[in-house]
Amino acid sequence: MDNNRQGAKASIIALIVFIGLWILLPSAVRRLNKEAFAEFQAPAIQLLSKSRDLARYWELRSRSTEDLVAAGRDLARINATLELKLQAMEDIRKENLRLREMLRYPTSTDYLTVVARVATRDTSSWWQRMLIRKGRNDGIRPGCPVVFGNRVVGRVTTVHLNISEVELVTSPAFRCTAFLEGDDPPRIVHVSGVASNPFTTGRAKVSVIQPDYTPPAGQVAKVVTTGLGGVFPAGLILGTLDGGVTSTAQGNLKEAYMVPSKNLDTIEEVSVLVPKYPTAGEILMSPTDRIKLEEFK
Amino acid sequence: MKSFFNDTPHSTPSDPLSRVRINFLFVFFVAGFIYITTGLAYRQLVQASEIMIQSDNQIKRVVIRPPARGKIYDRHGYTIVDNRVRWSVKADLLSLQPEFRQEYLSLIRKAKADPTVPKINYDALNEQARLNVLNGWLDKIWFVIDANTDKPKKLKTVAKLPSNKEERTVNRLALRKHLTESRALKFTLITDLAFPGSENASDPDEANRTVARFIEQFPQGGPISLESDMVRSYPYSTMAAHVLGYVRDSTDLPPNVDDFTDLNFDNLQKLRYTGKRGAAGIEQTFDPILSGASGWELWTKTSSGYNKELLRSSEPRQGSSINLSLDINIQLAAEEALRQIKDSTGNPLPGAAVMLDVNTGEILAMASQPTFDPNRLVDRISNKYYDEIENQGGWLNRATQGQYAPGSTFKIITAIAGMRNHIIDWDDILECGTSFRVGNRDFPEHGGEAFGSVDVEKMLTISSNVWNYRVGLKLGPELLAKEARRFGLDAPLLRMPPSLTNPSTTELPYPTNRLVIPDPAYKMRIGAGPWNSGDTANMSIGQGYTLTTPLHMACLAASVARNETRTTPTIIHDPNRDGRHEGAVSIGLNKDQLEAIRIGMKRCVEVGTARSMQIEGLSIAAKTGTSEYFKNGEKAHLAWVIGYAPADNPAVAFAVLIEGQLDTSTWGGKTAGPVAKAMLEGWQVENDKD
Repeated sequence: MDNNRQGAKASIIALIVFIGLWILLPSAVRRLNKEAFAEFQAPAIQLLSKSRDLARYWELRSRSTEDLVAAGRDLARINATLELKLQAMEDIRKENLRLREMLRYPTSTDYLTVVARVATRDTSSWWQRMLIRKGRNDGIRPGCPVVFGNRVVGRVTTVHLNISEVELVTSPAFRCTAFLEGDDPPRIVHVSGVASNPFTTGRAKVSVIQPDYTPPAGQVAKVVTTGLGGVFPAGLILGTLDGGVTSTAQGNLKEAYMVPSKNLDTIEEVSVLVPKYPTAGEILMSPTDRIKLEEFK
Repeated sequence: MKSFFNDTPHSTPSDPLSRVRINFLFVFFVAGFIYITTGLAYRQLVQASEIMIQSDNQIKRVVIRPPARGKIYDRHGYTIVDNRVRWSVKADLLSLQPEFRQEYLSLIRKAKADPTVPKINYDALNEQARLNVLNGWLDKIWFVIDANTDKPKKLKTVAKLPSNKEERTVNRLALRKHLTESRALKFTLITDLAFPGSENASDPDEANRTVARFIEQFPQGGPISLESDMVRSYPYSTMAAHVLGYVRDSTDLPPNVDDFTDLNFDNLQKLRYTGKRGAAGIEQTFDPILSGASGWELWTKTSSGYNKELLRSSEPRQGSSINLSLDINIQLAAEEALRQIKDSTGNPLPGAAVMLDVNTGEILAMASQPTFDPNRLVDRISNKYYDEIENQGGWLNRATQGQYAPGSTFKIITAIAGMRNHIIDWDDILECGTSFRVGNRDFPEHGGEAFGSVDVEKMLTISSNVWNYRVGLKLGPELLAKEARRFGLDAPLLRMPPSLTNPSTTELPYPTNRLVIPDPAYKMRIGAGPWNSGDTANMSIGQGYTLTTPLHMACLAASVARNETRTTPTIIHDPNRDGRHEGAVSIGLNKDQLEAIRIGMKRCVEVGTARSMQIEGLSIAAKTGTSEYFKNGEKAHLAWVIGYAPADNPAVAFAVLIEGQLDTSTWGGKTAGPVAKAMLEGWQVENDKD
């Protein structure tokens, strides 16, 4: 009995000592520890995700030949249509290049695209983030925008060797600038995720809407990126205004809720747009590059 | 067994002395208990509500937030004064306390280690610690804003934004003031992120880029945040600046929105954000209408005075909008034309231009040169810009505040007075030589020319001086002055309509009250001696002591166009205005006499002194004037033109005045004519649209 009591006492003391040590440890050690833990669990996450892919593969293998023939036929039609669109796009691209050359218009910031499979996602009100199966080894850096087609999914917050964490547009930690469809001339609004109630779909808040803004009649106004902040390219769709015109007065301005453009619960694959050169914000956040701030000063 | 107590000699309870002591103590404690209980009950039951209020007042404060001002539109509904979003970067000093403390301790350590420091000034170090921390954050902010990531090999600052030194380091005095007066509010590091230190407002694209860079790149969740509010914006820059005015900072905010009946505001500590009040023009006179109602926030506060928790709030209510009678196209045309009239060094000459709707009296354009950009006066007026405006005389609205001799435009009054008083009729002819002798002095004809036989119509066409000397002298100063006053040339204008509940008495602030229609009594009053015939001759041609404003002369033209004596001008647009003018009666001329005046003014444009303002397809009636004034002790000329159009069916009346300089050749038709022409062309375009 006494031994048990002494053992319990020792455990509590050990726990307190451990917590104390953890608090007193230098932040670099703690960061290393956190990183090591992330790297430790990364293979398990990847394995789980790949198993899901495999299960899906076997499920598709079990389909009948008729189903596959029909799907193949549909795919061929879609391919033919896309080929035509591709041709048209190529013409537009050339025209665009020609006009840019004529006007000596500077080309937009270059991005490298890294396609990544979604490993896990948690779109509940609690986390609002997803893990993707690409990391530092693939050139991904913190702060990179994550898109699906021309729609914004979120932004990379933490990068590990082979996985990265993505903060979704509905996360309270997410923010960017946007233009509203129908606002002429376009004026900057502020988009940030909001902590929503449990069991509800995540939404973002669009604030600093000018009082005289009215959404286009008969349609849901799109919220698109400005491309001015140096992080997101211009014209990507962030979402649509929830309820159209139901913006509420906030101070002397208006605000509205935004529904993300892509159903974040079902997304399987995303593209990470890695800017060719690090942004100032990236440098500011990266401890190794702080020296550049000193140089700047 | 013996008790220890029983052995002591004075401890038996039956001892009378002990009993007295015990009873005394008992009474003492009971009394004390009753006293404390009663006191507590009194506090809890009787004084409870009062104490609770006091307690609430000690831990709560109200923060008053200013509303957005109402917009100002022109007569067609175009926004000429707007509100734009101002993005301010603010620091939460409460969250920065640990950083301040760390820096403070570090500075103390350094000071103690430094043998050259004789005595440590802890207060100064504390302030320096705060400055160091805030400057560190400010460096980071500017790093994000300035860094040009398109050129990554070497981070460069983008030199597109005005690099105002004040916005790049924290101002020690501003921080001290903030900590003393409003430490509960966040400290403003950059007032207007889109236009930092905006002496020269950068282009809107660059402004948007600055805001976007900060929002998307600056690490969030820290003590630095971006806040947005509405500030005044004048999209057309200098356009109608004297009419619109400008706003300036004020903590005297408009009344609160009325939804706080259960809050005892009077006893709560109040903190006010800085709002805006109209400081000139319409912004000033219509301030109660434009300013709206303030919002408020009820906060709990920390022991060190910072805001802690927001309990309740009420949104501010935007001010009402105003529709001015100005037409932006005519206004822009007038201002552009005024800018084109330059002196020998290429600087625009001072001047004013006014155009009115003849029937309603609504002012379609009111321009004054030199002018200023109200956008540059919104946050704070820099000394340099203030001096620039001051030295040019740009604060003066020459259309309503300038006092000028009307020159030959006054001849319309002399002619009307002569005919009304039967001194002369419309077809009477006077022989006019090169000069006219008054007393022992020859008063010359303009240009030294003899015009021969001159009637009313010809007089107005060629602007004969001699004709006016002769008629004026026969009339005498009293009748001339009476006629001028009948047309209200010295009457106050732009009085606030009684229908508008506004404490201001005039639609535009500080109209001049030093207008002069002279007569012998006036000359005596100012100590200039007795009136003589020379004074009358001068007065008959609008020279001498007569002083009036371009707005008054535009009203005179409108009145003649309507065959009435008075025009009530207004800057407020009202589509239901009935066109009645206060105190207006018929001029009192017969048809022929009136026609002579009108034809004379029309001929003035066709073949006379106002030929420079001919417009194809538009008949114009006008009268030019070139009067003398003294500038730095030397004679210079004022160029005038007044009139109305179309001559046969008057719709608009106008007046233009240009202040000539000593070395410039300034003549009514030649100098002022093109400005009037530009306004009329602007009106023609608008009229064709309708």
